[in-house]
Amino acid sequence: MQLKGTKDLRKAAVQIVSDAGGEVVGRTRIQKMAYLLELGGVGSGFKFSYKHYGPFSQRLADSLQIAVLFDSVKEEKRSTDWGANYSIYQANANGDVEGAREAIIRLAKSANPVELELAATAAFLATEGYEDAWDETARRKPEKSDKLAGARLLYAELRKIKAMEPWPEIA
Amino acid sequence: MHDLIGFDDEPFEAMMWELIQSKPFQRLRRVKQLAFSEFVYPGATHTRFAHSIGVFHTARELMKIVQRDLESQERWDPTRSRVSLAAALLHDIGHGPFSHAFETVCEELELDGIKHEETSARIIRETEVGDILVRAQDTEFRANVASLIAADGPTDVYSSVVSSQFDADRLDYMRRDKMMTGSQHGEIDYTWLLQNLKIKKVKSSVDDVEAGEIETFVLDKKAYYAAETYVLSLFQLYPTIYFHKATRCMEAIFTQLLIRVGQLYRNSETEKSGLPRNHPIIRFFEDPKSLEAFLCLDDSVFWGAMPQLCEASDKAVQELATRLVHRKLWKTYDLRLSVEQKLRNGDEAAIDRVIQRSNEKISEWSEEFSDDIPRAVMSTAKRNPYKITPASASPLNKIFIENGSGLIELREVSPIVKAAKTFRLDRIYHNAEDSDVAIAISKAVDAAIKEEKNAT
Repeated sequence: MQLKGTKDLRKAAVQIVSDAGGEVVGRTRIQKMAYLLELGGVGSGFKFSYKHYGPFSQRLADSLQIAVLFDSVKEEKRSTDWGANYSIYQANANGDVEGAREAIIRLAKSANPVELELAATAAFLATEGYEDAWDETARRKPEKSDKLAGARLLYAELRKIKAMEPWPEIA
Repeated sequence: MHDLIGFDDEPFEAMMWELIQSKPFQRLRRVKQLAFSEFVYPGATHTRFAHSIGVFHTARELMKIVQRDLESQERWDPTRSRVSLAAALLHDIGHGPFSHAFETVCEELELDGIKHEETSARIIRETEVGDILVRAQDTEFRANVASLIAADGPTDVYSSVVSSQFDADRLDYMRRDKMMTGSQHGEIDYTWLLQNLKIKKVKSSVDDVEAGEIETFVLDKKAYYAAETYVLSLFQLYPTIYFHKATRCMEAIFTQLLIRVGQLYRNSETEKSGLPRNHPIIRFFEDPKSLEAFLCLDDSVFWGAMPQLCEASDKAVQELATRLVHRKLWKTYDLRLSVEQKLRNGDEAAIDRVIQRSNEKISEWSEEFSDDIPRAVMSTAKRNPYKITPASASPLNKIFIENGSGLIELREVSPIVKAAKTFRLDRIYHNAEDSDVAIAISKAVDAAIKEEKNAT
């Protein structure tokens, strides 16, 4: 699907939350979820580049903000007792999502966000031509290296999903 | 700005000197730090070359703080410090001509992989720059420098020198941009800030989950007021310099010009742009992933193409190029100011909704009624006083003050920083003689306000 104007972008952003049962915890999670949907060929056409916590779409971030502004999505902002701020996105749940899109969303929704970030980053770097994308991920995020094993397992689970596009091989 | 920047007669600094002599680094002499700001501040002609060397010099000063602290704990790692210092010098090596405006062109034309951080990393891995690093150190060193530049935030105290709230990049450009523009905003107490920088562990996170701890820079409470000034000064540079309406207008004209040339190339109508097929700009459009093509581009190549672009057979190219050369700006319509005035009692969300609806209507109008140059060009931007990444507001992105009993975030102790609101701009640029645009904008805003009132 080719995204055009801001209204299309907004709808697509809301759709991700709806398809995730009406709730997604975390801005990083929703970004990586959207990225994996694009990678699997069941996304909406958001473009990603390496920026915040790996693959990031500014248009997705902006569209979500606008969706919140127009009440299509609710954003509840919370803080942990150790100083992190995070968001919970909520929208009307869509019970009709199925196939690869449903499977990818389900996996991303329940994954540890650090492992999700690492897996999405490795996949992104693999598509950018890095021969050893896990190694490059470890180099860029050494402070999260204890979660790499979990990220590899997560990616292996992702690869079992029959998507519209082949999942990149990551050495 | 730094008076003399010297290079000692020892292997690492000899390597830094050699890096500066490389072709990709010398190219930065021809890429201005502030792109089109010189059209507002004539003194703003400083280059990414000067800035990069300044960042290296500042990084050396920050690294002395790190060394002092870690040596006392027998944890100092000279190799990691050298990676960070090399990254400081090379961090901007992948900037295109006119920096961020060029990235906007590439984004609009859907040319992937042109972000300057990734391009910098590629230059390090694939050109003579990398060869110098390998010769002087090894392949692992080269890989680590490239990865540090491409990384999306600090990973340890060494990388905090390159990327953190008090990194060398920010500490150089704040002072340099202020000095070269002549602006009286943005003064910071640099010496006192450095005197009071400490290294402490801060928790990192991804969304609501902890992701370990990272050592980074925090400030002693003695520098509390310097920290306040630092945050507010950085913030003030945005509305006064980086987001100046004339500067943004020149960027918008440049962006539309290059987009048009790119479109002509894609339609196999390159000759209409006035540029020959072997011009570096056309060569770049032919193969945007080619580093060789990218490295042939700099500000001077673009300005050098102006005589040809000004005589293009394509009217859009001709008009846009002529505007740039002679600084014939488009008219600025301040959409945000207009909406704020019309919605005098409107809350922030209502104003934002009206602006969003107005922008959508005006974009649709412009798409329907424009020829080769959009009749209305939108320009939006925002800047938080405190730059928190949009992905996750991790503790690592905050400024902490150490008050003897622990770390406290600056916003919790500074009512001024806490109260500072996000600066937002929403402008529309258009040909001053195009009265239809002004009418369309006015109608769009009135309709958007009506919709807002009906919705609430």
